[in-house]
Amino acid sequence: MITIEDLSVNFGRTEAVRHVSLEIPDGEILGVVGESGSGKSVTALTLMGLVSAEATVTSGRILYDDVVLQEAGKPRDKALYRRYQGAQMSMVFQEPMTSLNPTQRVGRQVEEMLRLHSLPAAGAAHGTAQGRVDFQAPIEGRLRLYYSQQERQAMKQLVLETFAAVGLRDPERVYGCYPHQLSGGMRQRVMIAMAIILHPRLIVADEPTTALDVTVQNQIMDLLREINEKQRSAMLFITHDLNLARRICHRIAVMKDGRVVEIGTPEEIIEHPREDYTRNLIEAVPGRMKRQRRSAGISREPVVTVRDLQVYYQDGSNSLFSRGKKNHVVRDAGFEIRKGEILGLVGESGCGKTSLSKAILGMNKEITGEIEHFSSRPQMIFQDPYSSLNPSKTVGWLLEEPLRARGKLDPGQAMTAADMRSAAMEMLETVGLTEGYYDRRPSQLSGGQRQRISIGQALITRPGLVIADEPVSALDVTIQAQIMELMRRLQEEMGLSYLFISHDINVIYQMSDRIMVMKEGKIVEIGETEEVFAHPREEYTRQLLRES
Amino acid sequence: MKYLGKKIATLIMTLFVVSAAAFIAFQIIPGDVVTSILGTEATPEREAQLREELGLNDPPVVRYFRWAGGVLRGDLGVSYRYAKNMNEMMPVAELIGDKLPITLSLAAISLVLIVVVSIPLGVVWARSKSKVLDAALGVITQASMAIPSFFLGIIVTYLFGMVLKCFVPGGYVSYEKDMGGFLFYLLFPAMAIALPKAAMTARFLRNSMLTEMKSDYVRTARSKGCSERRVMYGHVLRNAMMPVITFWGMILAEIVAGSIVVEQVFSLPGIGRLLISSISTRDLPVVEILILYITFVVIFVYFLVDILYRVVDPRISSR
Amino acid sequence: MKKGSGIKWNKYLVAGLCMTGLVVLLAVLGIFWTPYSTTTMSAGERFAAPSLQHIFGTDNFGRDIFSRVMKGIGTTILISTLVVAISGAAGILIGALTGYFGGIVDEIVMRIIDALNGFPSILLALVVISVMGTGQRNLVISLGIVFMPSFIRIVRSEFIRLRDADYISRARLMGVGRARILFVHILPNIFSTFWVSVMIGFNNAILAESGMSYLGIGVQPPQASLGKMLSDAQGYLTTAPWYALAPGLTIVWIVLGFSLLSEGIQRLSR
Repeated sequence: MITIEDLSVNFGRTEAVRHVSLEIPDGEILGVVGESGSGKSVTALTLMGLVSAEATVTSGRILYDDVVLQEAGKPRDKALYRRYQGAQMSMVFQEPMTSLNPTQRVGRQVEEMLRLHSLPAAGAAHGTAQGRVDFQAPIEGRLRLYYSQQERQAMKQLVLETFAAVGLRDPERVYGCYPHQLSGGMRQRVMIAMAIILHPRLIVADEPTTALDVTVQNQIMDLLREINEKQRSAMLFITHDLNLARRICHRIAVMKDGRVVEIGTPEEIIEHPREDYTRNLIEAVPGRMKRQRRSAGISREPVVTVRDLQVYYQDGSNSLFSRGKKNHVVRDAGFEIRKGEILGLVGESGCGKTSLSKAILGMNKEITGEIEHFSSRPQMIFQDPYSSLNPSKTVGWLLEEPLRARGKLDPGQAMTAADMRSAAMEMLETVGLTEGYYDRRPSQLSGGQRQRISIGQALITRPGLVIADEPVSALDVTIQAQIMELMRRLQEEMGLSYLFISHDINVIYQMSDRIMVMKEGKIVEIGETEEVFAHPREEYTRQLLRES
Repeated sequence: MKYLGKKIATLIMTLFVVSAAAFIAFQIIPGDVVTSILGTEATPEREAQLREELGLNDPPVVRYFRWAGGVLRGDLGVSYRYAKNMNEMMPVAELIGDKLPITLSLAAISLVLIVVVSIPLGVVWARSKSKVLDAALGVITQASMAIPSFFLGIIVTYLFGMVLKCFVPGGYVSYEKDMGGFLFYLLFPAMAIALPKAAMTARFLRNSMLTEMKSDYVRTARSKGCSERRVMYGHVLRNAMMPVITFWGMILAEIVAGSIVVEQVFSLPGIGRLLISSISTRDLPVVEILILYITFVVIFVYFLVDILYRVVDPRISSR
Repeated sequence: MKKGSGIKWNKYLVAGLCMTGLVVLLAVLGIFWTPYSTTTMSAGERFAAPSLQHIFGTDNFGRDIFSRVMKGIGTTILISTLVVAISGAAGILIGALTGYFGGIVDEIVMRIIDALNGFPSILLALVVISVMGTGQRNLVISLGIVFMPSFIRIVRSEFIRLRDADYISRARLMGVGRARILFVHILPNIFSTFWVSVMIGFNNAILAESGMSYLGIGVQPPQASLGKMLSDAQGYLTTAPWYALAPGLTIVWIVLGFSLLSEGIQRLSR
């Protein structure tokens, strides 16, 4: 149905997509897997006619059946595209929050699909709505402003039915909601409802579950598969996650640097990859198989003990007139981190992982309970490599600052400028960078490089404990694997303790000696990693394990 | 409801702070009021009598609360400078009464001009694909923003009054006599106030629209098959208006300030001229009431803008 | 970044620099030398139209307008610079402290600023002037007070935004001292925002100064002032329109130059 022939897309001088050829027959789910910058999204946007004006198609063409949608050297025919967009091919985006208009009720936004495209098509798609009302097709290229009471009722009915079909409970209520009043999962369901309401032949889904929690992610994946089976819509499923693609796709294409390096069935790709890059990609995915057992180096001595810790969070609206509402975000936490161990902390977003870690470091004042440290100045590594380095400083300055601060606090440990410089140079080597990075600024580094500097900055004073809050979640899989490897190596070399936080139970499994599971502010399970994975005691842990 | 209560509390508190600050400020002014009213040749008895009449012998705190209480009861005090006749002092309320409508009308007309000119201009600008138009609007608005309102007033006087002879400079018509003539005369000073602000708003709206055009929901709208027109009017405009409304809130005070200065250029007998003459003659009761009054108007309009903002942006009210 | 100077020139920056450069040049030159005396009156040369001798013409006393404009630019720029320096420095100090530490002091400062913010700036300056009396020093002080709130507000909101940034949290964990966090870790990151508001503040100061001088409560004669010249010229619009145009267009030129410059700086940091 869709044929992409030898497509190349350039942004100015940069080639984003190079000679990509793909075919999507009716009813098939084609997965496109690649890391950021591999050109997978640009391919999808070009197919949908949504790629920005700076992009030029330099070779090839895109066909819908026999109709040429786009061809190299010709400007995009927007009017032609508009007949296909929405009605014949629709799209689901990654960020359901920003992808919906924040100031329009979601019901209206879905209904707009019906107003934009000829309604008989919609009526035919939904046997139920057909025959009840004669919809009048909008005049080509122009919108009708007036709809009869009956027509409006029928349109709303159709939207409500579609909401029910994508598993939204209480469609009537959702219809009148604004996007911010819905949860992430509900918003994505609304987006999907919008995409399928006209029963298009192709649905393009660009990382549709990346912004969601694991549990919700699974529900959305099931929903997409169900739609594919029921409506026989073809799907172009774009993801960075090979595992996700394997679960839903009939065929998978692997992209790198704008090219399709390999294409085949999931079995072919994952069991018998032909290309090195594919193999790397598979190996980089954190998994249950890749754990090395360690036992040496862990003592029973704690670096920190936490007893009966409660953490509260005060709402932002703090003024003279009203104190913000106090939320209890961590309840009755009690555990210890031992010298030389990696304690993994896993839980979904909003479960209190970050609040707990900040409380341990004394960054949260609203706490009760007892926290006892047996090491000096524990450090923290954050998730976002872009906000954790001061943008106005050089890498060298950043690496030396902890030493300067220590010198000020404790004159006995003060170092000369030359000593600090050589310590910084040494740390650059340690984290796998070269001395040439000393004078660079964070803005000149990639995400992975920044995270290496972050690690170096945290470790240069040799703290006993490092808390790493989702340190690899913002990174591509291959980079993720490198950073995990680095953190692991440094931990062993320096005899550090980590509290390693992640939402990804596979990452946790690969890294941790013991794991701790959190749900809604409570630690529900804690134990040796193997033990917890083999015999989870709590239902929630079992659920997490099942769903990953 | 809680929101409303909080807003009103803020309003009252601000008025209290401003009035107290103004009152205190005028206490430290050098120079004696009594001398300035009676002149240096008055008898000590007459001076003492006036002092008693004006209540100047009480401590400042008592005077402040007496004055504030009076204001609350609608008694705005008497002017030191103007007199009704030989025996009666001029109440401030009467002095201000007929000048208020002039200043308020001027500010209102300016606001309408700003809205009417800037929104279409901003939209056309954001939609324009012509580089020439884009650059021309850029230069024109940038230059308009740099013109101070009193200079613009002089240019308007010269151009429309002396060259084109659309109106007679200085030929102000009272609204009691001729409503149409009054509004027509106000149109020209309003132009002087509105042009720079309208240019600013147009720029702001255009930038805001261009930013919104890059957002994800616009891509979603396009993926549905929306035409550019529909994307613009159906989705972008409302979202782009949000920062513009905030911006209007911010320039409101400037519009009021602009009308004070521009009244001087066009010889309009509004409260701006009264304020300036009262300041130079140290007619403190009048100055204080005017300051309080202007503060009240500005805060009240802020309040309206805030409500408007809540209507346009559903995200705020539900929080 | 282009190689070489490291500065990406844009047309706003170039135009702004040229315009403001010329203004500053005239102002500095005006301190030492003007083509004609600014005070000598000559009845014979009243209302001379712009010509090669008097490029902006002469006024009702036969004084050379161009010379007086040069002096006026100097006054305006001096006053505006002082005003921005006072309010900007206070803004950084108060904004940094209230923004970073918050608490009850911040609460009180913000209430005051909210109250002042609703207040037209020129009106506020009028009140301060009426309390302190006219004169150049009082003008500077009053405008300095008037412009303080906007600087405090901008600096404060930047400090609030950055105080919870991950890299600041980390600096705290390292044990970096408070003063060092405020002025070494945070401050350099707000400069791009701050410079833009300095430019805007400078322009507003020019407009406020000339507005007040126009109303007769700013700079007092015999000191030359663009605003005062405008109000003098207003009475002679029919006979000598150039008299009003010269100082008026000069103000426009200065303000435009600085706003182009700030636009250019903004684009630079993008």
